[in-house]
Amino acid sequence: MAGGWYAFTDWTGRRVAPNFIGVANFVELVTAAEAIAALQNTVIVAFSTTAVQTVFGLALALALHSTLASRNLLRTLFFAPALLPPVVIGFLWKYILTPDGPLNDVLRSIGLDGLARSWLGDSSLALGSVIAVVVWQHVGLTMVIYLAGLQGIPEELREAAEIDGASWWRRLWHVTLPLLMPATTITMSLTLISGLKLFDQVFVMTGGGPGYATQTLSLIMYKEAFVSGRYGYSTAIALVLTMIVFAFAMIQLRALRRFEVQP
Amino acid sequence: MRQLVATTAIAAVTLSACGFVNTGEENAGETATTLTAYVSTEQNVGLEPLFQRFERKTGTTVDASHALVDELNKQLRIQLTSGTAADVFRVSPGFSSPVAAGVLGKEGELADLSDGSWTDKLPDDARALAESDGKIVAFPIGRNALVMAYNKQLFADAGVDVPTTWSEFKQVCERLKANGTTPIATAFAEGVALQFWVYALASTLVYAEDPDLDKRMMADEEDFVDNEAWREVFDKFLELRDAGYMSPDALGVPYEQGPQLVATGEAAMTLLATPALAQLAELSENGAEDFGIFALPATDNAEDTHIPTAPDFLAVNASAKNPDAAKRLVEFLAKPENVVAYADAVSTLPGLDVDLETKNPTLEPIRPYLEEGRTTAYANYAWPNGDVQQTLLQSGQELFDGSITVDELLARMDADYDKGTP
Repeated sequence: MAGGWYAFTDWTGRRVAPNFIGVANFVELVTAAEAIAALQNTVIVAFSTTAVQTVFGLALALALHSTLASRNLLRTLFFAPALLPPVVIGFLWKYILTPDGPLNDVLRSIGLDGLARSWLGDSSLALGSVIAVVVWQHVGLTMVIYLAGLQGIPEELREAAEIDGASWWRRLWHVTLPLLMPATTITMSLTLISGLKLFDQVFVMTGGGPGYATQTLSLIMYKEAFVSGRYGYSTAIALVLTMIVFAFAMIQLRALRRFEVQP
Repeated sequence: MRQLVATTAIAAVTLSACGFVNTGEENAGETATTLTAYVSTEQNVGLEPLFQRFERKTGTTVDASHALVDELNKQLRIQLTSGTAADVFRVSPGFSSPVAAGVLGKEGELADLSDGSWTDKLPDDARALAESDGKIVAFPIGRNALVMAYNKQLFADAGVDVPTTWSEFKQVCERLKANGTTPIATAFAEGVALQFWVYALASTLVYAEDPDLDKRMMADEEDFVDNEAWREVFDKFLELRDAGYMSPDALGVPYEQGPQLVATGEAAMTLLATPALAQLAELSENGAEDFGIFALPATDNAEDTHIPTAPDFLAVNASAKNPDAAKRLVEFLAKPENVVAYADAVSTLPGLDVDLETKNPTLEPIRPYLEEGRTTAYANYAWPNGDVQQTLLQSGQELFDGSITVDELLARMDADYDKGTP
């Protein structure tokens, strides 16, 4: 409630009463180049992590929902990064992705020198690198949600389709995926919300740079408050971010629920 | 009844033992003999032994905690607002952050230290930054400088000497490059090291020539974009980039790798603040013997060269619980032997002009600059808010990778400058 008021003030965190400045903070948010870049990056991160993580998580779940002897070990390995704090993951990948880091060393050692890049220092690659790290960390969680969904699908439905001569692909498209829609709704909602709020990995890996290439709304919210002392503006960003998260989550939830079916 | 009394007594003893109940005696003792301090991790290296000496000498306990500067800056603002700040704490110089001496001094958050016996020993550039509304509100425990550190072996291998002019500097870079060495380690991933280049070049090109520029900029009579000296700073910076003297993929190299690249011989030079020399010595095989330092030249007249220095301030909370003890601590730290002890401990320059000499031979090459007054403050300390620096850090990276022009960067800095002091 207090935040709702401070968003309309020039509060600087000092022990003096803030001044009411109307919608000036919100106007700055939609006109300042840095904020616009942050808004664009936030949307790109949220939608790409949601799409990529869902596809890869589903693929992993389908691959490991099998009689493979090592499936439990593989499930544990893919899920393990999701258990680590994002800050730890950020530091780890910041080191791996440095120009002379392990990733480029591996590429050079196998003769792929041309693919070695400054992954976090090149503004055309930095955001993609951050997205890849976020997906790498959380794809295991999506996999686990889908595995739970797969285990809830009655085996006889797939067997009936198989007896009717349906191919693997048709069984997946017409039986498995429709019955996995509740899991899809959950995982896509969670991924979209965490993508919109993304902070830790960006803060640690790039600090929003190079330039403003990986700036996100959460990051400028933090910087404006704790680095520049503009708590009023920062609160306005927080308010807008909350509304964006709420709006996207509701739209997505409603859209996906229409496709849900019961076995 | 007896049971009730016994229960109450047991509860009182238990709570007291757990620390939930303070006796009046304890409270009185705490306010009389305990002083709280919140300093940077870097400062703590030099301050910890001095705090212990102060405790032994006065019987006052110094309850000190420390954090990295960035973290400290963020927490201090909240602590001041909530009334939980320590009696003595680190503040940034000028208006460079929401917890800088200029900002907090104006707000009345800092105690007046003008009657300190050490105030006549303040170096001129530190005095300007320690004052707010005519009062001294900050004490410089040390003084950092931006210097170029170089790997002696790589210089010897390339047959080059320490340069004293801009042309010589470029020739040295060319020889090192021809010898197969990266001339300058530039770790610009976080922008911190990039701003050092701007301050080091501006010290000679801008402020040595025009010390009153900031006053005119404050009066809105001048700006960055129309100032030729400021343009030259960035042009010379880009000249080094374009000549291939800086680290390839510099924007992807983390700050801490700069000294490491010089220590391991992968690059010949790096621009750093003096406290980082201790880290460089630790990383080098033979310690401080492996490297030397020099002032970065920016013109073809060696006499023009200035070095940027930055006071490392401590201040006393205007609402300190124990203001007298806090001021006594500052007086103690200002004693010449303690000023020098601190400087030696953290590989930096003495915060005050004292007669005693430091024992750090690494800093010898820049001593003449200090003695001749060829120093200026870091450029950002005179800027009216921290946003100008933030823009330099981020848009400076864009300038480096060619996304924007010098004019665009200077215009952005002007826009933030015009916001004034919040």
